[in-house]
Parts: sequence; C-alpha cells; structure tokens
Amino acid sequence: MCLGIPAKVVKIEESNFGKVDYLGTKVKTNLSLIEDVKIGDWVIVHAGFAISKLNEEEAKETLFMLRELASQQATENKKNNVEARRNNQKQRI
Amino acid sequence: MQEFRDKRVIQALLAELEKKTRALPSSIRIMEVCGTHTMTVHRYGLKKLLENIGVEMISGPGCPVCITPNEIHEAAIELVTKKKNFILTTFGDMTRVPSRKGSLQTAVPASGSVVKIVYSPEESLEQARSNPEKNVVFFGVGFETTIPTIALTVREAFFEGLTNFSILSALWLIPPPLKAIVEAKEIAIDGFLYPGHVSTIIGEKPYQFIAEDYGIPGAIAGFEPSDMLLGLSSILDQIHQGKAMVSNEYSRVVRPTGNPKALAVMEEMLETKDAYWRGLGLIPLSGLKLKKKYSNYDAESKFNLNIKGGSGDLPGCRCGEVLQGVISPPQCSLFAKKCNPNSPYGPCMVSFEGACFVHYKYNRGLK
Repeated sequence: MCLGIPAKVVKIEESNFGKVDYLGTKVKTNLSLIEDVKIGDWVIVHAGFAISKLNEEEAKETLFMLRELASQQATENKKNNVEARRNNQKQRI
Repeated sequence: MQEFRDKRVIQALLAELEKKTRALPSSIRIMEVCGTHTMTVHRYGLKKLLENIGVEMISGPGCPVCITPNEIHEAAIELVTKKKNFILTTFGDMTRVPSRKGSLQTAVPASGSVVKIVYSPEESLEQARSNPEKNVVFFGVGFETTIPTIALTVREAFFEGLTNFSILSALWLIPPPLKAIVEAKEIAIDGFLYPGHVSTIIGEKPYQFIAEDYGIPGAIAGFEPSDMLLGLSSILDQIHQGKAMVSNEYSRVVRPTGNPKALAVMEEMLETKDAYWRGLGLIPLSGLKLKKKYSNYDAESKFNLNIKGGSGDLPGCRCGEVLQGVISPPQCSLFAKKCNPNSPYGPCMVSFEGACFVHYKYNRGLK
C-alpha cells in the first residue's frame, strides 16, 4: 500500500498538476504536497501524488558508501582467497 | 536504482552484518513494520540469508488492507448492496477482502450502484463530477503515506462544493500500534525497521518514544534490499553500543521533520479517534476521522452507518496474530490449504503485501 515509485518530473501545470516520467511512461501526478518542485526533479509518487522530493546529494552519499563497502569486501575476499590457496598448498606439501 | 540491488553490495552488507551479529550472545529479532518491507525481505531472499546470520525478521502491522477490521469492510458492502445509485470507489486490494458478508468483489450491488477500482483518490472526484445524480463514496484506506492524499481530495471536494462525494474512512496511524505491540509483551523485539514512506510524511520524531521510553533501537529504511540492510546494520550498531535511537537510513527521501505540507493538510482536515485494528483490538488515538466541519463528507455520519467496532475476525483466521508478529503465516492451519491467493480466507492473504500472501508467493517449498 505504501509503495512509492521514484519518477522524474517532466511537466508542471498551473493547477498543481504535472507529469512524471517513470521508465518512459508519462503519468499525470498531483504535485501539491511538495514544495518548490522543478522540471527534472526526482520525486516519490504514491497513489497519484508526489509525496517527497529525492535529495540527490543524500542519494549520492549513500551510493558512494555502498560502493566503498563493496570494494572493501572485494579486497577482503581476495585476501581470504589468497590465504586459503596458500593454506591449501601448504597442506599438499 | 539498480545499484541498490547490486549483488556485490548486498553480499558486502551481509558480510558486514555477520561480523556484527557474531559478537552477540544470541540471535536477534527485528520487526519490519511495513508490508512493503515484508515484500523486499522475501522477494530478494533476504529472510533466509538473514536467518543464517542470526537475524530473525518478523512482519508487523504495516498492511492497511489487512488491519482494517471486518466491520468497516462490511459497512462498505452494505452501502453498495442496499443503496441505489451509489458508486463505491476504492483501491483494488480492498475489493477482495473477505468478510462475513462476502467481499466487494462478490457482492451484488443494488440497482444503479457499482464498485469501481481507482488508483488515486482523486479519480473518485472525477466520478462525482461526471455522475451528479449518484452518490460517490471513496472507501479510503491507508497509513500516513496515503492519508494526506485522501485529506487533500476531500479538501478539493469541499472547496469545489461537490455535495455527492464522501469518504468511508479507514485511516490508521503507525506509531500507536507499535506502542501497543511493545506493551503487550507477547513477543520480544530487539529492534524496529521503520517504514520509509510513512516516515516521508511524519519524519523521525514520532518514533522517538520507542527508543526513549522502551529502549528499543530502530532505523528508518527504504525499500531496496541494500536500504533495508543498511537499516539493520544501524540497529545492530545501536545494540552493540547499548543505546537506542531512531536513525534515518533513507535520507535521500525522508527529511527529519517529514513533509510539512502533507502534515498541514492532515491537521486541517482530520482529528484522531480511538480505533479498532484487526488482531490488535482497540488502540487509543490510532485512527483518524474528518473534523466536524467536514462531516458532510464523512460517509459514516452522512449515511448513518452504524459501525460497531470490535466485532471480531472470521472464525479460524489467524491474520490478527500474524499482524502482531505472534505467529508466522505457516503456523495457521488454513495457510496454503483453505486460504490461498486464488481464494483468500483472510485479508493477510489478499493484499500484495499481506504477510500470508508474501509467504505463499515466495516461500512455498522452503523449509
């Protein structure tokens, strides 16, 4: 029920309505629950209403952190693999 | 968006979580409050992966279709079957919920009456404008995410002077049932994963009492798998540090103070009331109704519907216990037998985010 879809604002009309683009589909959306909306903003759409504007800075920060974590993990895995291989070789010897 | 579902990221997050759980003496139990979170947990196979590292996820009361008690569904059925020239509009899931009087889908409407499924509450206004000779009632259900959209719709009708439009309201607030669940002490919960889109509206503060008064950690999380794992990671940190708070791990969408415009329209149009929840019973100040000024738009008073709260669940259905997290769906003897998505016996099997439906869809055959 509380499903919200991220979509990009592509048109703003005077009457608080606008159109958002969701994966290429343009949908009529009520924009009156959010402030200072501009064309190109990303919003969360729920039941025909935009309920929140996406904060790009915050999104980038979270993504950066996730990428860091993934690369750290990859390094750790590599290290573990090398160690495991060494141990294997030792055992064989 | 894809990056929030990236396999490497998820594996890294799970490894990180494992490090944190390994240091704990026993496994922990986290309630995902929101039904959309329940979907993410099962859809991406996180349920089992998390179990393996000592995190048990249990579903909470966050499915509005599920927690709306029988008597309100029955009042909607009563309206459309007994009264002529009525258009009852509602969200799709609501039409399939079984009650003692059948469902809106199986009900035979009175002459000139009809049930219409809408995607947005505003579509009901269009129905009211183009059918001035009929009464249009929007059976509006939802939590704080949806409530502002419904309040705004009534506000539009009021200023437009539409007299043939009203709402049958099933509007629920999220913080009160969390308090009820904690106070009932039927299950021990080590942390709450708070619903992202409800929080978009209400912000962080309304959950603060759970951390301060009950010492239970919590995090607001988004709905991609990595969002949820970030939330869990923060909860684990709080457990380690022995301090409970409300951390916001969905900051790209949720502002600390919520959405002021949405809160203002709720405040303008609605007031709190004590309300019955399926399974949870009467919870003080947990529901909303239109203020007196707008009573002409309240179907309950407009059509003298006598909705008696607390009339009980369907016999045999354990949806109520599922909603409190007391049992998991397969523990109900009707699950996957008499009750399945094709012919649901209870509401938790109807909604796409009902715990029983989600369990049926993703976990059959898993042990």
